[in-house]
Amino acid sequence: MSWIDDALARLAARPVCGYEASPADTQPATEPTALATIALARHGRYNEARRGAEWLVELQRAEGYLGVRSGEDFPRWPTSLAILAWKQVDAQAYAKPIDRAAQWALSVEGARLETDHASHNSQLAAWPWVEGTHSWVEPSALFTIALRATGFAEHARVREAVALLVDRLLPDGGCNYGNTVVLGQVLRPHVQPSGMAMLALSGHRDPRGKIPRTLDYLTFAVSSETTSASLAWALLGLAAHRQAPPDTDLLLQAAFERNLKRGGSLHKIALLLLAAAGEWRIAND
Amino acid sequence: MEDSNQKTPSNDRIGRRALLAVGGLTAAGLITAGTYRQLKWAAQPRAQVFIASGQRYDDNLARTIGYGLVATGLQPEGLRGKRVLLKPNMVEPTKAARHMTTHPAVVVSVAEVFREWGAEVIVGEAPGHVRDTEMALEESGIIDALTDGQLSFADLNYEPSRFVTNAGGACQLKGFYFPETVAGVDLIVSLPKMKTHHWVGVTASMKNMYGTIPGIRYGWPKNVLHFNGIPQTVFDINASLPKTIAVVDGIECMEGDGPIMGTKKHMGLLVMGTVPAAVDATVCRLMKVRPEKIPYLKLAGGKLGPIDDRFIEQRGEPWQPLVSPFSILDVEHLRDLRAGEKVS
Repeated sequence: MSWIDDALARLAARPVCGYEASPADTQPATEPTALATIALARHGRYNEARRGAEWLVELQRAEGYLGVRSGEDFPRWPTSLAILAWKQVDAQAYAKPIDRAAQWALSVEGARLETDHASHNSQLAAWPWVEGTHSWVEPSALFTIALRATGFAEHARVREAVALLVDRLLPDGGCNYGNTVVLGQVLRPHVQPSGMAMLALSGHRDPRGKIPRTLDYLTFAVSSETTSASLAWALLGLAAHRQAPPDTDLLLQAAFERNLKRGGSLHKIALLLLAAAGEWRIAND
Repeated sequence: MEDSNQKTPSNDRIGRRALLAVGGLTAAGLITAGTYRQLKWAAQPRAQVFIASGQRYDDNLARTIGYGLVATGLQPEGLRGKRVLLKPNMVEPTKAARHMTTHPAVVVSVAEVFREWGAEVIVGEAPGHVRDTEMALEESGIIDALTDGQLSFADLNYEPSRFVTNAGGACQLKGFYFPETVAGVDLIVSLPKMKTHHWVGVTASMKNMYGTIPGIRYGWPKNVLHFNGIPQTVFDINASLPKTIAVVDGIECMEGDGPIMGTKKHMGLLVMGTVPAAVDATVCRLMKVRPEKIPYLKLAGGKLGPIDDRFIEQRGEPWQPLVSPFSILDVEHLRDLRAGEKVS
């Protein structure tokens, strides 16, 4: 049995899953379930994926959003991933939940700030983790991916989000949670947000060269030691720009085996399977 | 934040909260009656802080830590069967700057002490800037501590949480969503790194408690807290948490542009005590910073514990001969941390 078959069997047994290291302890949460749903669908396991998609439908509120887990309706950043899950399973069957979620997403934006302490353009707005706060890289990337995937690529909100993501890339490439230079000091990049940003920016060009430098950073950063979530997002970002490393499968297998030794987190298995599915063409644009 | 309604700050609640917290500690038999009186600031304003110099990560730190905690009022016999959370600092780790995060040897040593005293020990953290907690554990080296010490880890960023009323009242948040592990333990041991902080001057055991707040509900960074004021939320979180004590990793420290980008500074110290505000005030003095100029300590002084040196009894070694000024960023909001002196 290949590692992918093993991983698919584990995820198919529990497509509604949580963040915990051990599947036995798992408490269903929106992000892991949405990722599991997308991964199963991308590997053709639609019957099991539909279980995840239906669980997400039950979690959706009339306003269109989903909270972080059942009983925790706030904050609502995982709504982006639910959109992607429904789209991946059956865009027509889930057209109504997708539309409600997308309209809700378009109604929310990060706070625009006046600050002399940070060098990024704090007047640009995309999506915050929590409504009422500033826009940060990962929620902005996730909503950008979701809205590009559902026909909103040319929407003004998405265009501004793309500009924000490029603005938040560090001068030498890569990004972190979303600050670039603070009090005159250039900050460090991290793999996971850099990979996620590259996926969101697939097909985009940056005349200042920060996108190619970020791809270089990711190529250099990934190794057999890279932890599961960071590795998966890095590979998704690289593949979106046709720069997946030739040893992608070996890297994923190493991470999968390490994850099993550490309890077998289904959240991480979902991410590794998603990365193993190859280039994720998110946009119709 | 939608579920964080405005409310009127009330300092009256502090005294009650302090009493409740102290009541909990003494009821559990964790600290001495002397410490109980210390937290009732207005009546008995004293606290003890223990300092040990000449420490190294390959020393027998457990012996020093056990001795120091007992010297500041902790009662080991009250810890048997209690659940104790060790909270290291892993805000944004990188192997390139291990002086940013609590050293694994300190985590293992504190775990050894509390296990020896019969407590059930859990390590937990909610890194503030990175979502991949496994990466944070690897980069900080804490994963080695967990393996070596056969310790369980609670990923506080993603756990289901419980709402706890804001007992501080300095910010506008009605309460905090604490992870179940945090809300359910008998005692929290804050294990910060001794560092400068480019927004609030100094970070030690009280600021380290930002890492008890789950990112899944507050974001990465925990921008909800920033929007409500860093000093105010540091104070309020500490006022609202279960009982907390502190062991500060002051061996390899960070100065300059802390808490992430600063440079390494060797101090060789362990600083600890059962009243985090008093511990942090002493840490400030060791760095040659005036504690009353640190906004969250100013809020805490007289409410969560003493910060005035006249009311802090030194155990172990006195702080005065150990002072070594930490460099501080030359920015307007940090310029008066050392009154009458130019910072560099």
